[in-house]
Amino acid sequence: MAAIITQDKAMAVATVARSPGYWSGVARRLSRDPVALVALGLIILLVAMAILAPYLAPYDPTKASMIRRLKPIGTPGYLLGTDELGRDMLSRLIYGARLSLIMGVIPVPIAFVIGSAIGIVAGYVGGITNTLIMRTVDVFYAFPSVLLAVALSGTLGSGLGNALVSLTVVFIPQIARVAESVTTQVRRLDYVDAARASGAKGHTIILVHVLGNVLGPIFVFATSLISVSMILASGLSFLGLGVRPPDAEWGLMLNTLRTAIYVNPMVAALPGVMIFLTSICFNLFSDGLRSAMDVKS
Amino acid sequence: MMNPMIEIDNLSVTFNRGRKPVQAVNGVSLSVKTGEVVALLGESGSGKSVTMRSLLRLHPKGTTITGRMQVAGHDVTALSARQIADFRGAVASMVFQEPRLALDPVYTLGDQITEAIMRHEKLGRNEAFERALALFEKVRIPSPERRLKTYPHEMSGGMLQRAMIAMALACNPRVLLADEPTTALDATVQIQILLLIRELQAEYGLSVIFVTHDIGVAAEVADRIAVMYAGRIVEEGAVADIIRNPQHPYTQGLLGARVELAGHRDRLVTIPGAPPDLADMPKGCAFAPRCVRVMEACGQAVPPLTGTKGAGQVACLHYA
Amino acid sequence: MMDAVPNPLNQPGDPRDRGGPAQPLLSVRGLVRHFPVKGSGFLKPKKVVSAVDGVDFDILKGETLGVVGESGCGKSTTARVLMQLIRQDRGELLFDGESVGGTLPLRDYRRQVQMVFQDSYASLNPRLTIEDSIAFGPRVHGISPRVAIDRAHDLLHRVGLEPGRFAGRYPHELSGGQRQRINIARALALEPRLVILDEAVSALDKSVEAQVLNLLLDLKRDFGLTYMFISHDLNVVRFMCDRVMVMYLGKVCEIGTRDAIFDTPGHPYTSALLASMPKMDPAERTKVPPLSGDPPNPIDPPPGCRFHPRCSFSEDICTRMPPGVSSAKTQHSVACLMAEPGGLHSRAPALQESGS
Repeated sequence: MAAIITQDKAMAVATVARSPGYWSGVARRLSRDPVALVALGLIILLVAMAILAPYLAPYDPTKASMIRRLKPIGTPGYLLGTDELGRDMLSRLIYGARLSLIMGVIPVPIAFVIGSAIGIVAGYVGGITNTLIMRTVDVFYAFPSVLLAVALSGTLGSGLGNALVSLTVVFIPQIARVAESVTTQVRRLDYVDAARASGAKGHTIILVHVLGNVLGPIFVFATSLISVSMILASGLSFLGLGVRPPDAEWGLMLNTLRTAIYVNPMVAALPGVMIFLTSICFNLFSDGLRSAMDVKS
Repeated sequence: MMNPMIEIDNLSVTFNRGRKPVQAVNGVSLSVKTGEVVALLGESGSGKSVTMRSLLRLHPKGTTITGRMQVAGHDVTALSARQIADFRGAVASMVFQEPRLALDPVYTLGDQITEAIMRHEKLGRNEAFERALALFEKVRIPSPERRLKTYPHEMSGGMLQRAMIAMALACNPRVLLADEPTTALDATVQIQILLLIRELQAEYGLSVIFVTHDIGVAAEVADRIAVMYAGRIVEEGAVADIIRNPQHPYTQGLLGARVELAGHRDRLVTIPGAPPDLADMPKGCAFAPRCVRVMEACGQAVPPLTGTKGAGQVACLHYA
Repeated sequence: MMDAVPNPLNQPGDPRDRGGPAQPLLSVRGLVRHFPVKGSGFLKPKKVVSAVDGVDFDILKGETLGVVGESGCGKSTTARVLMQLIRQDRGELLFDGESVGGTLPLRDYRRQVQMVFQDSYASLNPRLTIEDSIAFGPRVHGISPRVAIDRAHDLLHRVGLEPGRFAGRYPHELSGGQRQRINIARALALEPRLVILDEAVSALDKSVEAQVLNLLLDLKRDFGLTYMFISHDLNVVRFMCDRVMVMYLGKVCEIGTRDAIFDTPGHPYTSALLASMPKMDPAERTKVPPLSGDPPNPIDPPPGCRFHPRCSFSEDICTRMPPGVSSAKTQHSVACLMAEPGGLHSRAPALQESGS
């Protein structure tokens, strides 16, 4: 009898039916969302464009020419016209994707790591520690993001590196707050209590039971910040606190073309259109990700 | 006059959300006389709440409802959106399991009840408030005047359920639909609410459909019990008959699983297995896969309810 | 039948047994736990919820102790303090004679006491497979992953779920009854001696509840477990338990054997609770509610006997003098002035004259 059961069991163990994991479910649901897929496709195109800029751009983006300034869209040889210094707009927009994407995207993952760590620890430990951490975070959070970014960049001085640092600092409190609230919710669930009751230590519980359940929502929030970051970065460059001329960056281009808005409004608006398109793509993708990560749907 | 107050004829409800349509109610017929209390008894997913909500057409968009429903002479399926809004509350009203979710947290209880009264009847605010006060006294809420000025979150669960009942009765409906109104309450409060419903029912001559999963609760309030399983009524009869002499194997199983009837046995009699998937129902009797008295014919066709209406009906081939 | 979980545990001769069968498995002495009320204390008078307010009881080896009472009576807080998920403000826990947190380190205590929660979904990590959830506890205690997974499969078998079908799945794919079986398996994975069941079957349908109750009885016999069974359903408690404790507003009002509590309840509150259960006989319906009003708020418990505002036998003395627990009979103790011999309540039994 016992032998039969043991054998039976051995067979059962060998053939455990595995459900597809959580992330493959997310991927499956995401693949059924046309809007998110289009947005993701456009993001990939933009990234490819930035990487392949030297091969795609018809001209050197910094080569100026006094004789062909502010040509309109559709000028033969200059498909999207030229800017106020006679540089080819198409080439500048393609090259501009490089710095714009770097400034838009890089601060978010850094802030994601730091902000999540702060928020998760505060949320899990609770009590006085939570109050101390979160009130400090709130001090930063109380400033409007634009003001904080400008103030920090202004203090640190202009330049790409300083702009990245100030954007990161702007996003850390926002992510930390979301991380803290999600963790506090998870912290109260019975499975965390069950894990504590089994004698597990705090860091084991955070690793096994908390991280997997909070990183998803924080990640979704972080992706929605990319569009904000793009716009803030453009704003910094616009104010002369980010990328310096003659480098191509959409925000900076918007600034330098500002004077041409009455002469050739279509061309002057082009960098704005790019910023708008890119940030909306990141937003739509982030929305799709949010619904795909909801198990109940 | 002897027309039943509620007459449901061959009602089916299908939810079309998700990938597969789910047929939650599958050909239910039920009639409730004036002044009668019928308990719809069943486990989760049996379709008992869905059946009752159909009477107020409370289902989300995209739900297919077929069959006929008459309530106090109104053909519920034929009412326009405007007529159904007038019908709800004035002819038939409902009491929910979670009054906290059914009441608006930003208005006082008094405001909500007077609004409901004024919506249906041409009464001034003062008269409506007077009626609300009388109702609160009727459901025996202590210091009713003060309670009318409180918000839902300031009241305990039992008091809130009393307020909910007062609100349901505000426009003198003829039918009260109760959806597990005592499930979330402590036993000591549950019995108070059950007695209150019974008393008000007798006083106003209400017809009541009382949805519950607890056969003990049904025994306390109902005149008749209709037992539901997987979207169908499998047995129906007077409360004493169902409890003392259940016919359908499912009802027998439910009663067998009752701990208070276990006596000094050291194990409970249980129904093996689990209810079927409503999106993927077996061809014959839905209970056949779990039934101890299953025969070959049970898998062929759905057995109809047989027996005389009112004297007890059962949907099982053993009694056909 | 089971090879990974050795059987001599919890049986006579269990190497972990210290005090022998006569020593209670868990003794609770003077347990107090108050919670501050949110929003009080700052520019307002500080308020506390006396969730548990001086509770003493024993859980005997091999028994099932039922705990009943209305919401807010402190039964769930008691469970969480016993599990040490929240610490008591005062009071002591003695596990098989050893002081928890003193001579018995918390980590060793937790191996021997486990808990099953009411909400079967919230008590399982949605991102872990069933086998990983069950194996988590043993792995925390240093058992190798391979052995822990084997034990998880054994336990799945024992709670009636085929490991081949269920081990690799996620909680949201299962029904409430199946999830509760998994929670039971998870609690057993550490080979505990005491299992606290906090409303463990309350959320289940009646036919599923019966299956799980049978399972709990089987497991208790096979593993020699001791249960603390918290429930609001007196019928289930009567079926499952050897002894029953009745709580009201953070205090014990009566504790005794099942038959004593159900057949000769000594406290008016116990009688009212019993009378509140729906009758299964439509010919004998309840006519008058045994208790009026809702369970009171534990923020401001009334002075004297906490039950006096709802008690039909209340006298002036009850509003002033809190009753002690009469421990005349260890089989059955009642905290009511009417049960104190020679007490000041008019219905108290006369003190027996001594010497004459």
